[in-house]
Amino acid sequence: MTGENHASARAKARRIFDRDAGTIEASAYVDPEIYQLELDSVFKRCWLFLAHETQIPKAGDFLSTYMGEDPVVVVRQKDGGVKAFLNQCRHRGMRLCRSDAGQARNFSCIYHGWVYDLGGELINVPLEEHAYGKVDHKAWSARAVPRIARYKGLIFGCWDENAPEFTDYLGDAAFYLDILLDRSPAGTEAIGGIHKWVIPCNWKFAAEQFASDSYHAMFAHLSAVAVTIPGGSYAGSDGGDGRQYSSDRGHGTGFMLDAGRRELLSAFVGPEVGRYAMEEGMASAVDRLGHVRGQRMHAQHMTVFPNFSFLPSVNTVRVWHPKGPNEIEVWAWSLVEADASDEVKEAYRVGGLRSFSASGIFEQEDGENWVEIQRVLQSPTARDTLFHVGMGMGKSRKDDPDFPGEVGWIFSEHAARGFYAQWQRLLTEPEAPVIPAAADKEAGHDA
Amino acid sequence: MMLEVKDDLAQMLLHYRIERFFYGEAALLDDRRYPEWLALFAPDIRYVMPLRTTRTGRDLKHEFGGPKDSAMFDEDHASLDMRVRKFASGTNWAEDPPSRTRHFITNLRVDGETDEGIAVRTAFLVYRNRLERQTEIFAGERQDVLRPHEGGFRIARRRILLDQSTLLTSSLSFFI
Repeated sequence: MTGENHASARAKARRIFDRDAGTIEASAYVDPEIYQLELDSVFKRCWLFLAHETQIPKAGDFLSTYMGEDPVVVVRQKDGGVKAFLNQCRHRGMRLCRSDAGQARNFSCIYHGWVYDLGGELINVPLEEHAYGKVDHKAWSARAVPRIARYKGLIFGCWDENAPEFTDYLGDAAFYLDILLDRSPAGTEAIGGIHKWVIPCNWKFAAEQFASDSYHAMFAHLSAVAVTIPGGSYAGSDGGDGRQYSSDRGHGTGFMLDAGRRELLSAFVGPEVGRYAMEEGMASAVDRLGHVRGQRMHAQHMTVFPNFSFLPSVNTVRVWHPKGPNEIEVWAWSLVEADASDEVKEAYRVGGLRSFSASGIFEQEDGENWVEIQRVLQSPTARDTLFHVGMGMGKSRKDDPDFPGEVGWIFSEHAARGFYAQWQRLLTEPEAPVIPAAADKEAGHDA
Repeated sequence: MMLEVKDDLAQMLLHYRIERFFYGEAALLDDRRYPEWLALFAPDIRYVMPLRTTRTGRDLKHEFGGPKDSAMFDEDHASLDMRVRKFASGTNWAEDPPSRTRHFITNLRVDGETDEGIAVRTAFLVYRNRLERQTEIFAGERQDVLRPHEGGFRIARRRILLDQSTLLTSSLSFFI
């Protein structure tokens, strides 16, 4: 699987995270050896988000994106299928496609003119007969992403031919992901445009926060709360009612229950979205997802391991593309129910960008936190400091009647521990299946 | 294309007045006087910074996001007011400690009068420095519509074309 000898990094990964103690050493976020190991052992084995179906609706529509640090082109095929391949010419390695998105008949390399079709297969080599005699086109095609999964409007890819089916990779996380994707019989569509911005921080800060951290919102986002919520506060001193879910595959989510649904959504995305979510949007969601998911759960944040995150109902969706241990690019966009009215779609469009984007009044502070954490981590003493990931230790359980998986109170870090447990397992066990064989151990183990 | 340059005193005066207006606006931003800055906008302001993508020459018509696409900013007066109040909240961590900015507004072109007001284009260079050493420079074009108001102007439309596709900052917590 891996092309390098990562023995030293594997030994570090084994030591860095201690699930039973609820600690992680800060070097996890900055060590270049760990990062190189992540690229091989996490990003080449896991299912990674590629695109929404409606971002490439017609044959020849393409999107340039990344899987880990691998540049790939995702292309709608003439038969309606989707293929993805490494954005690299097989002759001298030139980037084949230099547009963010567009419509193509084929992809020709600007260096020597090798041409690849929409599926990445080599179809023309200039002067082939005279210069080469024969080039085996099939063998010299662009490197295909061998596994593509399409799930309720989303397209995922995986470099590992032997990866589990995407739905098995999700496991019971699908229950929570479907709240984003399956609220309406019409499905979802992407609002046009992808926000792309650079945050000099490690990708795990962002992925972990969306998996496990409702806790920060009460303080980090105080200024946005102050200008969007009458009274400037949404939670009582006891934190309110909510749950957090952790998966043995590293996925995680947190959400509130019942009180505050309309108020919070109105604050995040505006009153028209708040109204929609209580009225026609809720009716179909309850019909499809049931009372608990359609009506009771709200203010949900989620990460599908490793780096695909979103806020259902707010409908912001993003990938944290790793760019070295100290930097990410955020690629964020919004989706909306395809059968929503034009007014609701417009409300989601402006509400989303005003709250959750580089300029978003809720998102600005996330960047500020992660940037400053990462700057401090350039210090050798900061780097071998232990961080506290011990909230809610032993308080999660697996027998909740309403919520599948390992579930505890919303203000907990068992989803962060689940995220790092999977991360550690993948880093230290290069040949093990991505889905752990044994049941997750934390639940109730010291309850 | 011919660049005809006319000797026109009325135009010079108009340019002078618009320049003074923009310099004053820039000073309000650089001095962090956001409520006074907001007062320069008409109640029906539309303040937009579209997303920008890298496209081939043949496909440049899709370089900027359209009206149904998301955008880096797409603001009305109420949402600008919300952003301005965020600065005064006392917990505006992304700008507290505040950035040090300098807005350079130049290359003024008056495109003429429309029903909405005077259409004006300028180039901007915004220098931003914050915390210990975070430094960013943003360049681009502003396309404004100015409406005469009480001897000066109000900004009725602003469209900001940033010369970046991937935004090279961790937050757009300031104004252009």
